[in-house]
Parts: sequence; structure tokens; C-alpha cells
Amino acid sequence: MNDPGSGLIVTGLRKSFGALEIIKGVELSVAKGERHAVIGPNGAGKSTLFHLITGRFPASDGRIELDGTDITGWSAHQIFRAGLARSFQVTSLFPKLSVFENLRCGAMRNFGAGVSVFRLLDGFRPLAEQAERTMEALGLTHRRHVAAGSLAYAEQRALEIGVAIAGGAHTILLDEPTAGMSRTETERAVALIRKVTEGRTLVMIEHDLGVVFDLADRISVLADGKVIASGPPDQVRGDAAVRTAYLGAAAEVLT
Amino acid sequence: MKRWAPWIAAAFAALLLPHLFASGFGLSLLNRMGIAIVFALSFNMLLGQGGMLDFGHAIMLGFGGFLAMHAMRLAGLGWFIPTPLLPLVGAAGGLASALLTGWIATRRDRTAFAMITLGLAELVVAVVLMFPSVFGGEEGINGDRSDGPAILGFDFGSQMQVYHVVAVWTWISALLMWRTTLTPLGRLANAVRDNPERVGFLGYDPARVRFRVYVLSGLFAGIAGGLQAINDEIMTSGNIGSEASGAVLLMTFIGGIGTFWGPILGAVLIVLLQVALGTLTDAWQLYSGLLFVAMVVWAPGGLAGILLAHAPVMRAGRLGQLVGHYLRLIPGFALALAGVAGLSELAFRLEAIRGGASTGRIMGLAIDATAAWPWLVAAVLFLAGAALLNRTFPQARAAWQAAAQ
Amino acid sequence: MEQGLLVVLNGLVYGLLLFMLSSGLTLIVGMMGVLNLAHASFYMLGAYLAYSISTVVGFWPALVLAPLAVGVIGALVERYGLRPVHRHGHVAELLFTFGLAFVIGEIVPLIWGRLPVPYRVPAVLDVPLFALAGTAYPAYRLFMMLISLAMFCALFAALAKTRLGLVVRAALTHPDMVAMLGHDVPRVFTLVFGAGCALAGLAGVIAGNAFTTEPGMARSLGAIVFAVVVMGGLGSLSGALVASLLIGLVQTVSIGLDLPFYKALSALGITVDVGGRLHDLWLLSVNRAAPVVPYLLLVLVLATRPRGLLGSRSA
Repeated sequence: MNDPGSGLIVTGLRKSFGALEIIKGVELSVAKGERHAVIGPNGAGKSTLFHLITGRFPASDGRIELDGTDITGWSAHQIFRAGLARSFQVTSLFPKLSVFENLRCGAMRNFGAGVSVFRLLDGFRPLAEQAERTMEALGLTHRRHVAAGSLAYAEQRALEIGVAIAGGAHTILLDEPTAGMSRTETERAVALIRKVTEGRTLVMIEHDLGVVFDLADRISVLADGKVIASGPPDQVRGDAAVRTAYLGAAAEVLT
Repeated sequence: MKRWAPWIAAAFAALLLPHLFASGFGLSLLNRMGIAIVFALSFNMLLGQGGMLDFGHAIMLGFGGFLAMHAMRLAGLGWFIPTPLLPLVGAAGGLASALLTGWIATRRDRTAFAMITLGLAELVVAVVLMFPSVFGGEEGINGDRSDGPAILGFDFGSQMQVYHVVAVWTWISALLMWRTTLTPLGRLANAVRDNPERVGFLGYDPARVRFRVYVLSGLFAGIAGGLQAINDEIMTSGNIGSEASGAVLLMTFIGGIGTFWGPILGAVLIVLLQVALGTLTDAWQLYSGLLFVAMVVWAPGGLAGILLAHAPVMRAGRLGQLVGHYLRLIPGFALALAGVAGLSELAFRLEAIRGGASTGRIMGLAIDATAAWPWLVAAVLFLAGAALLNRTFPQARAAWQAAAQ
Repeated sequence: MEQGLLVVLNGLVYGLLLFMLSSGLTLIVGMMGVLNLAHASFYMLGAYLAYSISTVVGFWPALVLAPLAVGVIGALVERYGLRPVHRHGHVAELLFTFGLAFVIGEIVPLIWGRLPVPYRVPAVLDVPLFALAGTAYPAYRLFMMLISLAMFCALFAALAKTRLGLVVRAALTHPDMVAMLGHDVPRVFTLVFGAGCALAGLAGVIAGNAFTTEPGMARSLGAIVFAVVVMGGLGSLSGALVASLLIGLVQTVSIGLDLPFYKALSALGITVDVGGRLHDLWLLSVNRAAPVVPYLLLVLVLATRPRGLLGSRSA
């Protein structure tokens, strides 16, 4: 499972905004095909870490490698083309486009549509089929023509994941996919994530530790801009540093 | 087949129209509508479909028009350049100017994009006036469309022949622009409009998507410029400046930017307003400006949006329920309109009198604008209309909401 | 030497005038994120209202009343026009202010006519102050300068000392935070918008009689003010001041340079073929090319340096 130079490897990553350093030398290694969760208290820099990996912000220092390729400093669309897709903590869809069109946009690049102005979109059969498949997996087929902006919150969250995975990227980063969902909605989302990330590399930020221990093969704990522990769930659960970092808000959940 | 029906119908209508309005006035109206339709649709490729508010759209029409005009003059010197193909020259001019301005403007989006185009509009007019040997300075340059080689005995000098050139190019351009909305680039333009950042995380550079849409829009604006060169036989710096750009923004928005066909409505309406009112009054620009502001505040979907809001009512077969409510809007609307029109016309008349005109007539009526009573009457009409609308409009809206459920 | 001093003085007056317009716009842009395309229209309204008021009660009351009236009109426009449009986003706001500029531009000639109105400098100040290079320098120019400087002092003092000023400054840097602290942000917006319009109106009052009061005055100044605000960095008052003075000086100095390019180039030792293909360019004089510079800067700064030359907020 752990052949060298494959998967996502982050070394010595740093990011400052002005005088404020948010990410203080993060080391993270996610093997190919692994389900990896990043947890940590609020303000630890989890979302910033995702933004750096996916090219939303340039890193101040450090190196990001995807399957042996150095992707540090690449722009967002280049990183996507290298096979890494992501979702957002704050839902980021195309509000005026329908569910189907949102998913088609998600899959467009990897299903050969390019930016052609000569061929009709409906002529790309595999693209439409992929959008259909994803829509079915999300349970949104009956909402096919509804504009994304008019969907219910949980449906939007599901579509948010759907747009990220529709392109069939081999590595997927999900930023708090279950945030704000009810118990049953969360269960459905976990089942969905399990299903659609089969055979792919998954990195997810998650606050719901139930979801984390249920889904993740390995866990990294981010506190104050550094990874303070990384390993299988049982090992992280027993880690003293993690307990210290989590004292307060989530300590009781860990025990 | 169903999606082609409107286009076949439009083609038949285009064949029929010149026989219904065969007068010189009717034909010149139709020609201007055709040009405005192509221009407005190309503008909406940016605003409605790509989320780009272009305050300098006339640059692309202008460059297309000037290039076509130079080609027309070359035809006069004996070059083989058939007049009906001048819009292609225009397309090349529009495309070239779009490559140049788009390279700068499409790096940014939203407000910054709009501001860049605002600066470009000022810049280009200033530059155009600096090169009188190319653009003819303040007077512009003119040509003769019948100088081109005759084709099948047509020399394209007459209004009717020009109409057929305009109609064919309008139909082709509209069809191609509509087809663009169904291509990957068309869909990506919508995506960039809705959420440019997310597009980046789906493997596309949003700036590149904007650039491509912008260049394509420039090509069609250039076709409109070529048609304008043929129709007007003159191009001036006024055709390229910020006022021409403002005019296309007005008509497109009034028609409705949320649908493909909205701008067509706007182009037809504004040209009608301009020509119909233009003979009666000088105030048509004020009227279209007021209509525009009213639309921005109360009906951001434009005319097309208002019509679309009634589609669910129609499907439910409840349009009949609304007729009564809508009829009750008419008195208030008519009164308010009469008031606004009266006030503007009086003011225009007064200004003309100040400028040395005789008391004259307002819309054919003998009314003395220097007396107080006509002003009072107009003000009372407006206030009465506004008061009536204030009562009837909420009722009509409630009725629509009930019917649309 | 004296000639040069005269040009610099005129440039300063023009630059300070630009700052009166750009300071109001910069506050509006910085706080509300609204690029008010009708800002120069309020400047025009100030001039015309001052003209009408001064024909009844004279110049001095008009100096106070006209800016106040413009401020009230601005506040009403914000409350009943801009605020309802706000929820449709920035492009809708731009469209609204564009339409507003268009409508004001049509209404003004309707009320006051298409020709310039005889709005004159008050007799007390219509005297030469001193002579420079054989030209009498009008006292009114000095008055304009004093009014502008008094206005800055008042503006900076208001921002530094008053509670409202504190909220405005906080909102310039942290718009979301101020709302969370429980301030009535919409009301502050209305006040700032009105105040910005009043400043533009004041500029119109003192500039309308020094230059000409005519329906084209908004259009000719409008785009320059955007160039100033963008160059100064959106939302930065000191940036707007520097950019205003810079553009004011450059514009005024270059107007005096009636020198064709080919001559300017030959002075640098470069000879060009005046009869060749580019003869338009070579015969072009510096004073006709100079007005283009602010727009060129506007476009280039926005495209390459979104924070403006001196500012910290991006467009």
C-alpha cells in the first residue's frame, strides 16, 4: 500500500498572512487509496492547509507532492488536472445552474469536453452518463432540473461533494462534508462518501469524531498550525499530546 | 425538431416583414432592429451568460464597423469586395479589437472588469480622435455600399436589398450565438458567472474562459458593426464611444439578461421607442433611462423575466385569474405615465422656448409651457397615478403569487 | 519661472478639486464596495443648484445650501434606490448607479437647458490677487484652495475624533466586524453616501463658477475621478490625495505643452518620417495625448495591480 512517491506528501509547509503565521511547518503523508482524516480544534489551520494544498493560496514555504510530482506553487486548475479535486466547507456551487449542469461542470474537464465552442455539450455521451451516475449516487435524480441555489441545505451539501467527485479525480479533499447536517443526513453522507471514494485517496477535514473513527484509515491531528499526531485511529485516540490539545471543547468525545 | 421551430418561424417572419412594412421608414426601422439585435445578443454573451459587465462594448462594434467601412471604400477603388460579405470584415475587426482589449480586461472579473472596460472606452475614443487619417476625426469616414461588385444583378444600394443582407446576417448570428450557449464554452461561461473560483477547482482557468467568451462576443459585435457600416454608410467616433456602449447596456437589460431571447425584445423595443418617440419628442433617452432604472430596482429580470414569471401560471391554466387584476393596473399606470411624460415634455418645451423657439405644440397639442397650469395638471396626474398604483400593484402581485403556486 | 509657478498653482487647485470628488467616492467605495458611477453627476448637481440658489439669495448661502441639498438627494438615493438593489450584488449596484448617471444627465439639461448657465464668481472674490508672469491671478482660486483645505481638515478631524468617524474607519478595514459590534451599518452607509455626495456637491459649487456649468461637466470629470480613486487604492484617503494632486498637476502642465511629438522626439535626438504611415502620431501634440494618461493608468493598474498604486484593498 505504501509505495514511495505515491499519494499526497506535504513537507515543511508554512503560510503567513502578514505577520501572522497560520501554518507552521506541516508534515503530512497520505498513501494512495487511504482514507485520511484531519482533525483539530477550531483555528488550528485545517481549512488553510486545504487551501494551500489545492492552490487557492500560495504557500510561504515548503513542498507539496502528488504522486511524486512537485505541485507546489501550481494554480488551482493545474492541480485539478494533476488529479486532485476538492469540496468546500462553505458551499460553493453554481447557484443558477441546475443540479445536472453543476455535476456536468464538475466532470467536464476530465471527460474530454475541453472549452470547445464547436461541439455541442449534449454530444459528449460519457460526460452526460457520468453526471447521471453521480446524480443517482447522491440521490438527487428527482431534483435534476432544480437550480442549485434553490436546493435544501443538506441537498446542497450532497451536491457540493458530488461536484468534487464527478470528475473522477484519484485524490479527493473534502472540507467538513457533514457540517450542519442532522444525524440521519450525516449517516447518509458517510455512506455516500464511502461508496464514491472506493479505490481513491480521500483526505477529509471533519469535526464529527464519530464520522472520523467510522471512516478514516488514518488520522492526523492539527493544532496551532502543526501536525501533532498522525496514525491509525486507536493510536491517535491514546495520544497524550492530542488530549492536551483537545482539552476543553472535544475532550470528552475522545474518551 | 422542436428546438429548431423558433428559428424556422423567425426565418419566415424575416421574409414576410419587409412586405408588411415596405415603406422606406419601415425598412430602415427593421434594419436598425436587426443590427441592434445582433449587438445586444453579443453584449449579453458577456453580461447575461458570462457575468461580465462591459462598459466599452461599442469598441468592438466600432472597430468592426470602421474596418468594414475601409473595405467598402476599397471596393469603391475597384477591389473585389462584395457588399454582403462586409460583415465578415467587420467580424475580423471586432475579433481583433477583442483580442487586444480582452487580453487586459478579462484578467479580472465583476467590478474590476467593469471598471477596466470603462477606462478602455474613454481611452479608445481618445485614441480614435488622435488618428484622423484612419478614423476621420470628428466627422468620421463614409462610403458607398453600392460601389461593391454587383451580385446576380443586385448592387445593394436600395433599402430593400440592405434589409435582406441584414436579415440573413442577423438570423445566422443569432443562431450561432444561441448554439454557443449549448457548447462546453457556453456552459463554462455560466459557471464562471455564478462562481468563478469554483471553476478554477474544476480544472479550468476562469480568466481563460472569460477571454474566450469575450473574443467570441467581439466577433459578433463586429458583425453588427459591419451591418451598421452597410446600413448607415458612415462610421464616426460616436459609434465607438461610451454612449453607444451605454445604449446597448440599456436595451439588453430592459429586454432581460437572464434568457437568451430577452435582449432581442429589448433591441426591438428600444429601437421602436427611439424611432416612434424620436419623431414626436426629444425625451426618448430620458424615458429609456427611467425605464432602465425602474427595471434594475423592481424587475432585474427585464421584460423577459416578467414574461417568464407567468409561464407557471399559464401551465396551470390560471392566466385568466390575473386578467382582472392586471386590467386594474392600467388606469394608475396610464395616469403616472401621462404625468411623467407631461412633465418631461413641458420641461423640454420650456427649454426650447428659452433657446428662442416659439411656444409651439406639445405632441400636437397647443399647450403653453410657460403657464403654471399645465405643470400642475401633469404633477396631479402623476401623483394620482402613483397613488392608484400603490393600491393596485400589491393586489396584482398577490394575485400572481397565488396563481403561480 | 513665474510662468511655471502659475501652472503649478493651477494644477494644485485642480488637484484639490479632484480630491474633493475622489475623497467622497473613496469613502463610498471603501466602506460599501459600491463604485458610484453617478458620483460626478452629484458634482454637476451641486454646481447647478448653487447657480439656482445664488440667483435668489446670493453665492454665500448657496455655498452652504447647495452641498446640503445634494447630500440629502444622495442619502435618499442610497436609502430608496441603492439599498433595495444591494441584495442583487455588486453588478446590480453598478447598473443602478450607471442608470442614475444617465437619468441625471438627461434631467439636468431638461431643467437648466443645454447651454452653459451664467453661474458667476461672487463680486468680492472676482478681483486679481497678484500678478504672475504678467497674468493676474484671481483671488477666487485662492478661495477654492482654502475651501478644499478646510474641507480636508474637517474630514480628517471628523474621521479621527467623532464616534461615527471611528465606525467609518473601522468599517473601511473590517466591514463584517463593525456589523457584528451592533452598529446600524445600513444607517452609517446612508450617512456616508450622503456625505460623499455632499462633498461632490461642494466641489461643484466652487468649481462651477470658476470653470463652466454645463450639462457635459459630469461626463468630462467622471472617468478621471475613477482613475484617481483606482490609482490611490480603493478606500485609501491619503492615496486618493496623492493621486488627485498628481493627476491635477500632470493634466494642467501638459495642457500648456502644444508641442507635436516629432518635435519632442527630435529634441531627444530621434528623427522620424513625418510624412510616413504614422504621421497622425508624429503630428499629435503632447497636450492632446496627455488626457489619455489617466485612463491608461486606470486600465493598467486594475489589470496588473488590483490594490491600486497606493492602496491596500482590492477591487
